Amino acid sequence: MISTFANPARFMAFSAWATPLFGALAAVLFAIGVPWGYALSPADYQQGETVRIMYVHVPAAWMSLIVYATMGGASFVSLVWRHALADVAARAAAPIGATFAAICLITGSIWGAPTWGTWWEWDGRLTSMLVLFLIYLGYIALWAAVDDEEKAGRFAAILCLVGLINLPIIKFSVDWWSTLHQRSIFQGSSMSVDPSMVGPLMTMFAAYAALFATLLLVNMRAAIHRRRVEAQRLRSAA
Amino acid sequence: MITGDVSAFVNAAYAVALGFLAALAVVVIGRGVHWAKRAKELERKP
Repeated sequence: MISTFANPARFMAFSAWATPLFGALAAVLFAIGVPWGYALSPADYQQGETVRIMYVHVPAAWMSLIVYATMGGASFVSLVWRHALADVAARAAAPIGATFAAICLITGSIWGAPTWGTWWEWDGRLTSMLVLFLIYLGYIALWAAVDDEEKAGRFAAILCLVGLINLPIIKFSVDWWSTLHQRSIFQGSSMSVDPSMVGPLMTMFAAYAALFATLLLVNMRAAIHRRRVEAQRLRSAA
Repeated sequence: MITGDVSAFVNAAYAVALGFLAALAVVVIGRGVHWAKRAKELERKP
């Protein structure tokens, strides 16, 4: 699978039809998920209407972790097998993951004000999530700071792999430390939210995931086009 | 127990989330279209 798509020509052929497909899927899922979560789903017996923030906050949190884990996998492939597209994939995913992390932090803060009585608390979950956002920014800055793309890719891959240590810290922070943040929605094989909330939550999660797939493919195609243009420019100048 | 009107918080959270996602999509797709055009122009050149 990896070696099949490591070929840029094969990737371009695949992404030419997959990108609009994922884009259309994302649009449909958002069109269903947003009104479902914002207006049609029931209010919570304890939190009331503020529970609706969950449908934009929780998928953003999940996706920021999933995107980072994807970047970790791509970085590992890049360092070990030097696949041509691994660096491109990791770099293309970073701004999308950073946006998900920013959405998670800001909407979490907005949710915290009416439920906890504070916009921010330096506890394990919130702080480790902020660290993830800063790692995303550092990763993006590292790519921008090093001119040689091969070197930049290697440095960024190492930073990404080191940053992976933060993912289990985020996941288990609510179990390890006393925190204002609620425990994980997943309790073994069951979910701790009311069944009536699972539908809009999973629809919004699928919408975020489909949007990620779309934007990742668009970003990767742009990077391949840019490299082709720059290579052609260099050949013309020589 | 939550008291008072919380709709401003819910509206703000949705505005932030959907606004950020829309801005990200516009920037990424704009960049994609830009480089695809440039690559096509180069292909057309003899």
